Amino acid sequence: MDLDSDIQMEDAVEQTQAEQAEKASILSQVPISITDPTTQRDTLDGWIEQLSQCKPLSENSVKQLCAMAIEVVKDEQNVQPVQVPVTICGDIHGQFHDLMELFKIGGPCPDTNYLFMGDYVDRGYYSVETVSYLVAMKIRYPRRITILRGNHESRQITQVYGFYDECFRKYGSANVWKIFTDLFDYFPITALVENSIFCLHGGLSPMIETIDQVRELNRIQEVPHEGPMCDLLWSDPDDRGGWGISPRGAGFTFGQDISEQFNHTNGLSLVARAHQLVMEGYSWSHQDLVVTIFSAPNYCYRCGNQAAIMEVDENHNRNFLQYDPSVRPGEPTVTRKTPDYFL
Amino acid sequence: MESSNQDVLNSSSEELYPIALLMDELRHDDVASRVQAMKRLDTIAIALGQERTRKELIPFLEDVIPEDEDEVIAIAAEELGKFVPYVGGAEHASLLMPVLEKIAACEEPIVRDKAVESLNTISDSLTDSQIEQDFVPLLQRLAKERWFSLHIAATGLFRSAITRVPSEIRLELLKLYGELIQDDSPMVRKASATHLPELIDILAQHFSTPDRINEFHWDLVTSMYESLVNDNQDSVKFLSVDVLISILLFLRHIKETSHSEDLFKSLITLANDPSWRVRYMVADRFERLAVNFNDEQFTLKLVPNAISLMKDNEAEVRKAIAKQLPGFCKLVGESDPSLVLNDIVPVVSQLSMDESETVRSALASEVTGLAPILGKEATIQHLLPIFVEMLKDEFSEVRLNIISNLQLVNEVIGIQLLSESLLPAITALANDKLWRVRLAIIEQIPLLAKQLGVAFFDEALGQLCMEWLWDPVYSIREAAVVNLQSLTKFFGEEWCKVELIKRIQFKKETKDFENFICRITCLFAFTKLIPVVTPETVATELYPLINDLRNDHVPNIRFNVAKSLLNVAQKLIGTDRNFVTEKIKPTLESLCNDEDTDVKYFAEKSLHSVDELLEK
Repeated sequence: MDLDSDIQMEDAVEQTQAEQAEKASILSQVPISITDPTTQRDTLDGWIEQLSQCKPLSENSVKQLCAMAIEVVKDEQNVQPVQVPVTICGDIHGQFHDLMELFKIGGPCPDTNYLFMGDYVDRGYYSVETVSYLVAMKIRYPRRITILRGNHESRQITQVYGFYDECFRKYGSANVWKIFTDLFDYFPITALVENSIFCLHGGLSPMIETIDQVRELNRIQEVPHEGPMCDLLWSDPDDRGGWGISPRGAGFTFGQDISEQFNHTNGLSLVARAHQLVMEGYSWSHQDLVVTIFSAPNYCYRCGNQAAIMEVDENHNRNFLQYDPSVRPGEPTVTRKTPDYFL
Repeated sequence: MESSNQDVLNSSSEELYPIALLMDELRHDDVASRVQAMKRLDTIAIALGQERTRKELIPFLEDVIPEDEDEVIAIAAEELGKFVPYVGGAEHASLLMPVLEKIAACEEPIVRDKAVESLNTISDSLTDSQIEQDFVPLLQRLAKERWFSLHIAATGLFRSAITRVPSEIRLELLKLYGELIQDDSPMVRKASATHLPELIDILAQHFSTPDRINEFHWDLVTSMYESLVNDNQDSVKFLSVDVLISILLFLRHIKETSHSEDLFKSLITLANDPSWRVRYMVADRFERLAVNFNDEQFTLKLVPNAISLMKDNEAEVRKAIAKQLPGFCKLVGESDPSLVLNDIVPVVSQLSMDESETVRSALASEVTGLAPILGKEATIQHLLPIFVEMLKDEFSEVRLNIISNLQLVNEVIGIQLLSESLLPAITALANDKLWRVRLAIIEQIPLLAKQLGVAFFDEALGQLCMEWLWDPVYSIREAAVVNLQSLTKFFGEEWCKVELIKRIQFKKETKDFENFICRITCLFAFTKLIPVVTPETVATELYPLINDLRNDHVPNIRFNVAKSLLNVAQKLIGTDRNFVTEKIKPTLESLCNDEDTDVKYFAEKSLHSVDELLEK
């Protein structure tokens, strides 16, 4: 197959070289009829405006967007410092309309500061729009919004759980997927809110005792299958003490003794993480040393869970806001709707 | 290699697209590439020119398309619909039909429908004689083949031909349609029944004058309807309801009533059909059916049927009829208002306690529409109790639907009575745990305020309006701020100073003000009040608090101060230029040197606009 397309290509170029010049003039007048994302806007604000209506950018714009984004996030630290007040959010998973709902609940960016703890893509129908929007906001207001890397921000996972297929469906090729997954390598992996709340997607690692050790990692790479960087994005807290083997096949489970030691060593009040579906949208574990925040309501459009975000004000008071799936215009929230084919 | 091929394809797609490459793409191994190439079929055609499109591209497509994947064919079918200009206009349009005929024979419904749609589009550019010579034979071939899928395709094509052929061919075509209506395959019957109302409408449009009425072929049409009504498949039978509506529309148009009795009988049979889907269809179209019988005798006779549908044992049917109630009751009310009150309203009351929440929700969105029909007294006596109960419904959507539609009730009974009976329910909902319910209540407040008057408003709702400002959900705080602006418009500046500004200023003395959400909300509220109060009030009451926040330690507040100061400047520029130059401008200038980039950005933006103001 490779050979075939190779030959065809060369043929094509040779044959048409002479004719191309005269056809170029005709073709330049032909409106481009591909209706896929081509509506082009030139400015970042234009992109944000377009994305906020859940309309994906053209492939070219995505290319520019991600190039700009790399410039912004590559200089951020492995442990990106964040100031209060800030609103901390968990998994989004391509549920674009619920992300808009989140901003309705917590307030728009930049008026409210946000910290997202990864997993923007896969599962939901609008991974492209979701991650494009968040990245655009990051470029526009780098001081107002922090976006960390989740275990789904990786080449391998996105090929299985939907982002790859979605890119292919919406753009007709895997280019956009490649551009985004290349960008994901630069995302910071953890954040530290005022030296007090350590935020990351998954959890702790047996190879990491101090936050300074996180600072020494080389994060700009595909999420590895094992090792400290993998653990930070994959681990889960557990009722059992000590380190355990994770049923996920990557990362570890860690008990309350581990959290106590880690928070004590690093002078932390809390570890905030996402990564796990929790029915109330947030869930405390290890006697309030660890909190799980999950911001995709009715996860996968069927789990029936609430979502939550955590507001931390300038006096370090914490307030959880829970919310339900957004109401979409024209779409009834009724569970028992007679499908059209039934009538 | 494949990836480099892709790169070429994408990098050049914006400007130049080598034609041969595109043609090769049409044969590419990868379906996605063929799809992309097919989407640019028009580009190929333009580049080839009309003659080569006719002689090379179309035969090529005829060759490759039928063997391709459905998703590729679907796009080809769609693109070919736009192809008339590319093959050289109407005179060559028939050339496109063979390939589309082949596609229409496809069993995949999406592909078939696209081909049918494109054939119909092309038929618009054909002359009547082309229709007769090319289009009708194509249609007949499809309808007479022995395969259901082709019959389905045929049913979609009649509408383009039926009025454009000579009388005898029209008769032939309608007879052919009659055969499709009685086809062996239920899928064909379903498709032909679906397209029949449109066909009847088109016939009615062209042949309703006395001299041409024979061309409508009443006998054929009614026999098709009869056959649908008696179909043994309910998925076919329920489509007869729409056919009935089209027939009624035609009769109404030509003012013919002699058939009404028979048609009404058939409707009653449908309304009592053992299959709930048929009953659902009647319920869902109830108002239109009643309207188009256009006779109050029939309307009144329909009342018992409406009631039995409201009591139907299938929730979907009850839901459908609930949505039709205001429209239908309006018709009934015009002939006999007592029937609505005595017969229908008691059943509405039952329906408001229906076991299904979707039924209650549907009723809630429509039931307030009964108020204008019943009039003031009956609304107070019979409907208000239903509303009050529904406002307490455990299902939030029911509550929301009632609140969102109170306007109609207000117009009938006046706000005073409405508020007396519903205010307790409304204040209970003001703290509903669902924020959208709270939002719906806030959105009703300006309306209530306008009619309650200041005194009553302050007493009943004043406190509530302030409390929403401190809601945990941003959208509620935002709506609350907008609400304060509307209230100030009604109640005036003095009221605003005492009831709003003083209270917000007081917030500054409390511990809540240590929270940035509280401070930013005060800032938003004052900013929103700027346009609706006098410049003096802005300078003396609003500006101080805004200005105090310029040194806030939270950057988000500082850049909102920068935005707000522009509004202050716009307000004061006409009356107090010095205020702008001496107070606002220096503050903005100092914010331009802020350590935070966003504060700098918004301060510079505001400063630029202020400078423009000053230059004028």
